[in-house]
Amino acid sequence: MAAAAAAGQVDADTFRRLYPDDYLRKFVEQGLRPDGRPLAAARPTSIGLGAVSTTDASALVKVGSTTALAGVKCEVVPALPEAPDAGRLVVQVEMAPLCSATTRPGRPSEGAQVLTEQLSALLGSVVDARQLCIDAGKVAWAVYVDIYVLDADGSLHDACLLAALAALSSLRLRAVSIDESGRVQTGAAAAAAQQQQQGERPAGQQERRLALSCQPVSLTCGLYRGRLLADPTAEEEPLLEAQATATLDESGAVLGFAAGGTAAVGQIVVVQCLEAAKMRGKEVRAMLQQALEQAGLAADADAS
Amino acid sequence: MAALEQQPLLTDGHRRDGRAYEEFRNVFLKTGVISQASGSAYAEFNNTKVMVGVYGPRQSERKVGYSEQGRISVDVKLATFATRQRGMFGQTPEERELSALLATALEAATNLASFPKATADVYVLVLEAGGGELGVAATAAALALADAGIEMFDLVTACSVSRAEGALLLDPTVDEAAREEAGLTLALMPACSEVTQLVSRGPWTSSALREAMELAMGGCAQLDALARQVLKTAAAEAAARRQQEQQQLQQAQ
Repeated sequence: MAAAAAAGQVDADTFRRLYPDDYLRKFVEQGLRPDGRPLAAARPTSIGLGAVSTTDASALVKVGSTTALAGVKCEVVPALPEAPDAGRLVVQVEMAPLCSATTRPGRPSEGAQVLTEQLSALLGSVVDARQLCIDAGKVAWAVYVDIYVLDADGSLHDACLLAALAALSSLRLRAVSIDESGRVQTGAAAAAAQQQQQGERPAGQQERRLALSCQPVSLTCGLYRGRLLADPTAEEEPLLEAQATATLDESGAVLGFAAGGTAAVGQIVVVQCLEAAKMRGKEVRAMLQQALEQAGLAADADAS
Repeated sequence: MAALEQQPLLTDGHRRDGRAYEEFRNVFLKTGVISQASGSAYAEFNNTKVMVGVYGPRQSERKVGYSEQGRISVDVKLATFATRQRGMFGQTPEERELSALLATALEAATNLASFPKATADVYVLVLEAGGGELGVAATAAALALADAGIEMFDLVTACSVSRAEGALLLDPTVDEAAREEAGLTLALMPACSEVTQLVSRGPWTSSALREAMELAMGGCAQLDALARQVLKTAAAEAAARRQQEQQQLQQAQ
């Protein structure tokens, strides 16, 4: 087979499977990727809001073939004694068994756990948990952000973060009312109860949006034979010498940088990566803004 | 909320969502939705949204005894946000039951002898549970198996029928199913008219059961026409893409 390949007698698809490294190298030397992109380009991205009606907010994000679905569900829970004036934001990333050939049912995979930890920390700093308080010391909101990876075609961090950000940006916390006996109602029933209680001390809250301190967007870059590939696919990822994910907010401040691989990541690469992530962030935030406007959920003037 | 629960499901020949008794919800089927999978399908019946990925046939992950025939291993999960009440990440007994039911619905239609000793993994994720998950999942899973190029004797389509307020309702929603007096889910190999699975709930008289089965079989035949169309379109698109690639290659040379 190798002789046949050397003689150029195998078709492109066979060559791709047998010699993935040579296959990618031939493209990268020409300044291109197997899917036709330039080296520094991310894949086409789409954001769909409100895909799942059983959630309080949801977002389906596709970056190329990589697909992540984030669903947010809010529950009224008793306030924790150690944090009486705060609610809870619980982030969980699940790699559904159907997302790739290596994920199997059962215990969460290592990749999913790492993503869960990274995104929990990141989103925990973006959402101030004190705004989730309903009645100090008594009840608070628990906001569950569950992110399912439906198709794992590389650069999962970027897609999962964008899905979570889009869902949280479109989230409206339901109106809450608390009557004298301490019964908590949410949604339309709460709004009606508040109407009745006019004049009395208003117990509870109106419907409101969640305040996010910034809009974090990440970009994953891979190092391959001294060149930087933005937004690598699952086919490219195992061939990379090193991989780095940079997360920046809209002002350009770095919220997170994670690098790893067999090769050391030099300072120049870090700078290039951050620069690429900054550009990508602008593009993605514009896309998110457009999606929110289309859904009629854009941030109001008071929030900007 | 309480007011809605007391309202009748049916008013002058129509259901709450405006459908006639023997009408499906809006059905959308699509294959090839997961780039990593051998075969995949997405099915949407209004608020019931199901995604299926098929991997293999490949070596089984679990230690199972020697088998001359191939195996189908099914795993069904509901997303935590698929139901009104938030679910959990681990698999519940209901999901295990769904997995087992789905496996029997698919096995009869698959040529297991064509992949001896190997396993085809069928992974189902219910993104939103709006009623009739078993039927929707079976229809989508059969499409995904076909998309994976696994030999089948026939497609499988499945749907549910509920008896509520004295009427037989095809493809019930979650609200209708919650208030049914009796119900059944039927999976059919439509071309050979063989039933691969029948699950009934609640009391049925034999004549009512026969009527309900006929309604469900008619429903399955409708779904089959649509499923075949989806497969044909996908095959035609793939062929067109291949042809285009070849033309480009020839031009380049």
